[in-house]
Amino acid sequence: MNTVPIAAYISVSAVLFALGLLGVLSRRNPLLLLLAVELMLNAANVALVGFSRFHETTDGQVFALVVMVVAASEVVIGLGLVVAVFRQRLELNVDLMSRMRG
Amino acid sequence: MADINIVAATPVIIVAGTSVVTLSLGLVPWRRVRLYGPLLAAGTALIAAMVMSGVLWGDRQLAFDGNIRADRFSLLLNFVFLIAALAVIMFSWREPASVDRRGEWPSLVLASTAGMMLVAGSGDLITLFLGIELLSVALYALCAIEVWRERSLESGLKYLIVGAVGSAFFLYGLAMLFGATGSLKFSEIGREISQQSLANEPFLLAAIALIVVGLGFKASAAPFHMWTPDVYEGAPTGITAFMSTGTKAAAIAAFLLIFQGILPGVEGDWQAAIITIAVASIVVGNIAALVQRNLKRLLAYSSIAQAGYLLIGIATGTIAGAEATLYYLFAYLAMTLAAFAVVLIRERQVPDGERLESLSGYWRTSPLLAVVMTIAMLSLAGFPPLSGFVGKFLLFGSAVDADLAWLAVVGAIGSVVSVVYYLRVVGVIWFGQTDPEREERRLGPVTGATVVGVTSALAAIALTFATNPILDVCRGAAESLLAP
Repeated sequence: MNTVPIAAYISVSAVLFALGLLGVLSRRNPLLLLLAVELMLNAANVALVGFSRFHETTDGQVFALVVMVVAASEVVIGLGLVVAVFRQRLELNVDLMSRMRG
Repeated sequence: MADINIVAATPVIIVAGTSVVTLSLGLVPWRRVRLYGPLLAAGTALIAAMVMSGVLWGDRQLAFDGNIRADRFSLLLNFVFLIAALAVIMFSWREPASVDRRGEWPSLVLASTAGMMLVAGSGDLITLFLGIELLSVALYALCAIEVWRERSLESGLKYLIVGAVGSAFFLYGLAMLFGATGSLKFSEIGREISQQSLANEPFLLAAIALIVVGLGFKASAAPFHMWTPDVYEGAPTGITAFMSTGTKAAAIAAFLLIFQGILPGVEGDWQAAIITIAVASIVVGNIAALVQRNLKRLLAYSSIAQAGYLLIGIATGTIAGAEATLYYLFAYLAMTLAAFAVVLIRERQVPDGERLESLSGYWRTSPLLAVVMTIAMLSLAGFPPLSGFVGKFLLFGSAVDADLAWLAVVGAIGSVVSVVYYLRVVGVIWFGQTDPEREERRLGPVTGATVVGVTSALAAIALTFATNPILDVCRGAAESLLAP
């Protein structure tokens, strides 16, 4: 059986991780920042599943499933905070969130 | 058949279980239960978990097929986390801010504590990641829990985004570690690395770099510290104290667990990375703290510098270094809790309590707390005979023994610089003029915080005189890291 080489999995996941990091550095809206972070976490998932196949064990896939749950809970807190900020009628832009400086 | 052995996991189970109970207690219809129930339940659970950690003390026991360990290392760190959590519970006793959030507040503190205990007691990469996330996610919510206060929200959102990026780096590093070794269990990863000389293997190098970045965010080590002052300033002061003691201890525990526990064979690959962030933290933390007039920001920058000192012990890669790091974690816990207790009390006495000026001539109104703050500041600066001095002496000594004398010199110079801003606080307290127009009022109860402050200040002194027995315990804990 022809299998996808491990290098392919890792390349895809590295590109996804880099895209996520780029998003975190360039976006200013908290919602989009959360999306970018999700991309980084899922890049790790791709790597985990790829390595899992490479080493012929299911451990990595179990880890990936756990990561999905954790990522979901992180987003729930994030969205909750965004709604709370919105209710206070604050600007949804992390650059303007600078009441504290120094 | 997997071995469950649930007894070895009881400290975590008690804390995590009570987290759910406190949440429910905050919802019952009886007002008295709602007011005191959650805090009492949380305090009881924390003390019970401490007792269980003491009972389990001894050689390594494994629970859940080795995914949770109970050994001297994890049990010793449990005490750091549980004491920090207990202090937060005492801080919030009858606090107005948590009036309508009676249940959530202790529940989230307990969830975060359970996460810290999972980190120190993890036996595989999944448990380690879950622990880090449990402690962080609960803290994101705790930072923003005063939703009516703009700064609290800002602090929560900033911490969430930076913390999530840190977690992503950390997770990607764990994935690379799994890729390099083909296993998630610490014991098997350690064996794999020592058997097939994996030094300089690209996946392993990537794993080390990513894990250092990820944990650097969590431990607020420079250059991953940008979030620290803002988050520490905006969060409720009790939570700031919890973050700067508990979270830092958990991140340092993860550093020790990974680099000294499972990667000691490839020291050459990671030592330079740890040294870099240690030096950066000492330099950045101490220099930025010099200009701070806000006590919470000052303590935030000081905590960045302290993270640098702690990392020196890890960078040595020796048992003596790990031992010194563990001792300093206890000293740091005592002096930081004492300092934050005084800031918290001052915040409840005057409207601008977190400003340095609010402590001006404080010894006239409250000599006891003035002494507490003085002890905390002198200990943080490293004056003998306080425990901060003993801890730094041990840390720098371990660096000299590991042929890293220049690192000890950097640490010593950093400490000398830090004397300036710590002594400024002491000077303001004892030689400042009291402002007669300052409005003194009771914005909240101070009894719980006073008890915490006085106890911590006494502990900061007592740790010096009990150095030898405590060092023996720390040595046992450091050695248990390397036990097969």
